[in-house]
Amino acid sequence: MRVEVPVEHQANPNGARPVAQPVTMVHGFAMVDLSSLADNRAISSAAALGTGAMNVWGNSLPAEDLPGPGTTLSRELVPFQLVAASAAGDNVRCSGQYVSVPCGRYDWVHLLAAAERRTEDTVAMHFVSGAVDFEALRVSDFWTGAPAWFGEAQALHTPFMHYRRHVQPQMPAQLWSQRVAVTRRDDLIGLRLPHNVAIHVFALTLQTVHEEHR
Amino acid sequence: MSTIAQGNHFTQRAWVVRGQLLFWYRDLISCLQSTFATVLRHAGQDPLEVLGAHWEFRFTPGKVHAEEFDYPCRFSGDLGRSLAPYHPVSSRWHRPAEAEAPLAGLIAAAQRQQLTIAAVDNFHLPFRPAFHDVHAAHLVVVYGVDEHRGLIYVCDSMPPQFRGPIPIADFLNAWGSTNQRTEQDEVFSGTGIDRRWLSVELGEAFPEFDAAFLRRALAADRQLWGMRAPQHGGPECDDWTGAPGLWQFLDTLLECSRGGDGAVLAQAYPFGWGPQAQASLHGELLRRWGSQHRAPVVAEAGARVEAVAHAWTGLRMTAAHGRHTPTAVVADLERHARILRNCYEAAVETLYEAEVTL
Repeated sequence: MRVEVPVEHQANPNGARPVAQPVTMVHGFAMVDLSSLADNRAISSAAALGTGAMNVWGNSLPAEDLPGPGTTLSRELVPFQLVAASAAGDNVRCSGQYVSVPCGRYDWVHLLAAAERRTEDTVAMHFVSGAVDFEALRVSDFWTGAPAWFGEAQALHTPFMHYRRHVQPQMPAQLWSQRVAVTRRDDLIGLRLPHNVAIHVFALTLQTVHEEHR
Repeated sequence: MSTIAQGNHFTQRAWVVRGQLLFWYRDLISCLQSTFATVLRHAGQDPLEVLGAHWEFRFTPGKVHAEEFDYPCRFSGDLGRSLAPYHPVSSRWHRPAEAEAPLAGLIAAAQRQQLTIAAVDNFHLPFRPAFHDVHAAHLVVVYGVDEHRGLIYVCDSMPPQFRGPIPIADFLNAWGSTNQRTEQDEVFSGTGIDRRWLSVELGEAFPEFDAAFLRRALAADRQLWGMRAPQHGGPECDDWTGAPGLWQFLDTLLECSRGGDGAVLAQAYPFGWGPQAQASLHGELLRRWGSQHRAPVVAEAGARVEAVAHAWTGLRMTAAHGRHTPTAVVADLERHARILRNCYEAAVETLYEAEVTL
């Protein structure tokens, strides 16, 4: 069952009012709509190869082999909502964006993500008490042949890679389902993504704490 | 991992190196490590043990080339010895003499049953994704030449991976390419390929990879980290090495970013591939050894070294993406420089902790 949750504007840890993201609840998961934060296009159609750039070489993922913008999909029992179609892009290239989330108890932050070369960085978790925890975010490479170095689940896979001027067979690409633990027993109100342009986030879902474990 | 058994001479003008020719790939290495790895595997050696044994920071100012295989050599001109200084590995660059047939050196090596490594421009290689799209300097292993049929046998472990014959004409185009620089190919283009090739010499006495070997390697890591000037580069060598060298490299990168010098930022991408690959292999080797020998401190040290490799990603990508707007990425570069320094320092600390347990 899907329940649309009204966006609550949280107290902003930085003073300025944060951009609030809409959230859709599904069976204990809060799918955060990142569309307003999208700032990079990593997916292109075969007819418009040059419109996407997931790395410095200008490679992109084939739209024909991926779910459409705004689609909800499930991987490892975690639902994700992809960024909606817009001129701004189809993913959030991490540059310290603040993601406001519905105030609540969560166990996990799940991310549908991939990196331009595997990398580690930190997510800042902001809690209603004023506490801030820095937690590691580790994301593997989207490139052909790269393993799930950090133990992620493969969430999406494409059989081809797009180059700026051609479609390349035998070069599959991949997106990962990664997760970050919320260790503090406190209500989470927001997340700051890393300042790391190598990391691309295509969807973000919060897993709520089961009532019995509160 | 597929293998092929190579035949002996099949015509008077064809030579193929015998033995199994195996791919070897890791996601953070470049063609430099992958080609040497194939040569090592062909000789029955474990590439991770050989290429992952050594770890240091080294930067040669003013000598960064826009090539995937750019690497600051601890031993001038000897990539093999610089990559694997604790093993009997050595290499030497060659170019065909004007008077000789271009392929003479490669053929002579194949006749001696020796693999060679050739520089190429991917733009001209049919099996590379960059074929007729992107100019990029790359390395492939050459394991045979069939002049009669106009074929040369090459092996490339980098995705999508290829092993087999290609027309000599294609190879000559790639091997002799000027590697023309264009705006969209700027990362690894601009340096002529110039028919360069590497001969690789492997000695007989590869050391046993045991606790004693590892202890010496870790001690060397620590010594090299604290070293301001290289001992083996000769008095004329002005490499920036160890911790002081890394600080100097990062300070210079940040100064150039603040000053709007995008060219230096662009160089951080090809240069950074070498230390990133080296850290990833050294870390993986330590972690594997620690796991196999129930030595958790060694495994943890490996993970710390791998974290250095992962921190290089942030610095390299921020610099590369910011090369056209260097002043706009100053804050992010400062952040990644700080993270990288911290990762190196944490890794060196744990290496010492691991060393004393061995």
